[in-house]
Amino acid sequence: MTQTIALFIDAYRLLNARKIFWFTLILTGLVVLSFALVGINDQGIRIIAWDIEIPGINTRTGWTPEYFYKFIFNNLGIGIWLSWVATILGLVTTSGMFPEFISTGSIDLILSKPIGRFRLFFTKYFSGLLFVVLQVCVFCAGSFVVIGLRAGVWLPGIFISIPLVVLFFSYLYAFSVFFGILTRSTIAALLLTILCWFAIFIVQSSESTLLFFVKYQEQKIATYEENLERSRTQLAGVENPEDRERWDFLYQTIEARENNLEEALDSGSGVRIAHTILSGAMTVLPKTSQTLDLLSRWTVDMANLPERTVDQRPPLITEDGEFEANEAEIGRAVEDEMKSRSPLWIIGTSLLFELVLCLGAGWLFWRRDY
Amino acid sequence: MGSGSIIDISNAYKTFGRNIHALRGVDMQVAPGEVFGLLGPNGAGKSTLVKILMTVVRPTRLAGTLLGRPVGDPQTLARVGYLPEHHNFPSYLTGRQVIQFVGAMTGMTRQARRRSTDRLLKRVGMWDWADKRVKSYSKGMLQRIGLAQALVNTPELVLLDEPTDGVDPVGRQQIRDLLLELRDEGMTVFLNSHLLSELEMVCNRVAIMVKGRVAMQGTIEELTADSRRYELRISGPAPDWIDSLPEVSSYLEEGQTMLKVRSQEAEAIQPLIDRLRTEGRAILEIKPVRESLEDLFMRAVSDDQGRFDGPGAIVGDEGGQA
Repeated sequence: MTQTIALFIDAYRLLNARKIFWFTLILTGLVVLSFALVGINDQGIRIIAWDIEIPGINTRTGWTPEYFYKFIFNNLGIGIWLSWVATILGLVTTSGMFPEFISTGSIDLILSKPIGRFRLFFTKYFSGLLFVVLQVCVFCAGSFVVIGLRAGVWLPGIFISIPLVVLFFSYLYAFSVFFGILTRSTIAALLLTILCWFAIFIVQSSESTLLFFVKYQEQKIATYEENLERSRTQLAGVENPEDRERWDFLYQTIEARENNLEEALDSGSGVRIAHTILSGAMTVLPKTSQTLDLLSRWTVDMANLPERTVDQRPPLITEDGEFEANEAEIGRAVEDEMKSRSPLWIIGTSLLFELVLCLGAGWLFWRRDY
Repeated sequence: MGSGSIIDISNAYKTFGRNIHALRGVDMQVAPGEVFGLLGPNGAGKSTLVKILMTVVRPTRLAGTLLGRPVGDPQTLARVGYLPEHHNFPSYLTGRQVIQFVGAMTGMTRQARRRSTDRLLKRVGMWDWADKRVKSYSKGMLQRIGLAQALVNTPELVLLDEPTDGVDPVGRQQIRDLLLELRDEGMTVFLNSHLLSELEMVCNRVAIMVKGRVAMQGTIEELTADSRRYELRISGPAPDWIDSLPEVSSYLEEGQTMLKVRSQEAEAIQPLIDRLRTEGRAILEIKPVRESLEDLFMRAVSDDQGRFDGPGAIVGDEGGQA
């Protein structure tokens, strides 16, 4: 235990000595402070003493101060500040930890002590997460106070973002540690981590985009089937068998709709296959965005806010046979699909990937001669 | 030696990659309470051997014990102190924090660490600089802190890799005195250094490594026994009969002759002195001479023709395990 505490204190001292840590912490404080300067009223948004009218965002359109601050907290505070800017600064700060740790002269001293290499590796690994733990704790505590004072509601639920943001950061940190040990270079570790992050982002974005198209195709197929069925019913309902004109028109319509349906089924299966492949890749990869989306899911649930109203206009086939989708409904279907992915699956599979990466890095650390 | 040894290793092999043979069957014993010096040219395998003892490097093959337990046993390491050659203490720590951190890593309690750190800071002369960050230290100061951290757990064995590297003459003298104090306190010191004259002053026993093997091992007395001789300086040229004495060689230098008599015993040169005095030759100087450690070292690292065939480990198949 003495050794574990010593390694954590050492990690804190390392952060404490780095200007970038304090720079990020001050920026985090400023972001929280900026929350306090923003408010919402029946006109729009108020920044200090200036009112800015923004259509649709005011208390008359259902935006309560509680929802407004949660929106800022989730989308700007967590969605942009912590998950992008602070994460990049965090990676810059921590990417050198392992390359420096295993450099000649440093590692000799530690390895000559009575501590197993695996234990040493994992203790050092977790101590590296101190950066993000401290940042996100300051951010959440500050936001908790700001929302409490400005919106008059105290939301302990926002503290759920501490483990979620730490989890999110840890997925990327695992890459950084792995590449740091593999290459022994801070720059290489940082660049390769950002590259992997970008690749994961692309896979995730592509998967959700393809999911949209899958839902679009499903809606299209369902609409074509519905229309085809309607035409067949109409054809069956033609009372006068001598009415050739009516008969031909319906017959041609059915034929055209069958062709449309066939095309939709063809392209739909292609999109579905592509989506299945990307879903498979996503199952294996750490789910950075989806982990952070859990925050929005949970905090909004906790606020018990009314669901946004969606366009109720049904999808239709125009007279010239073109499909007009109800995009709001597709969006809702995509959202429902995303929400149907359980937190256990999102976090569990991501942690599994992190564990594999950590074991790989730990094995490299364990077997190497220094 | 053997079972009572602090370090007792045999058949130590280490091959890096496929064909860099850093150690090629090293046998070495270090007795309790002695200052043991390890010498050798660059690439001889000295640091690799020390790193193997400290579990920093894994041996390809090794049989032996450290403090009576198999080399690599983690619990033994709590009883050992170590100063690596190119140590790189975290620049964000103060000297005091470095020592305390190392103490914590050996499993010492906080109180014991504090007491030991204060004592050692005074002992190595770093008390006034204890709370300054190590990035502001000179090389000599870093070495002093390095020594202090190696001793923080009051080890039974301390391995020091180039402890006087970068230290000024006064500092070197202090470190030498410290090493002798440690020996007097019963600590075993394993010293790896290039400064042969210093090793000669403090070491009880030495080993000279060459190309991954121990070329010589023993006390300096034992190793230089064969080289002991007496040198006599007399006025004028050498007498004619000197050539008939096989144990004596001579050379003329500025009107004086230096006679070198290969003998370890003073009695052996008495007849020579008597004969020279009978002939009325003035004897200007008589002194016993033995090889210095440097001479011994150069002899060990040179081939039969006296050539040093360069630094570095053996590369290639011929250096493989026996």
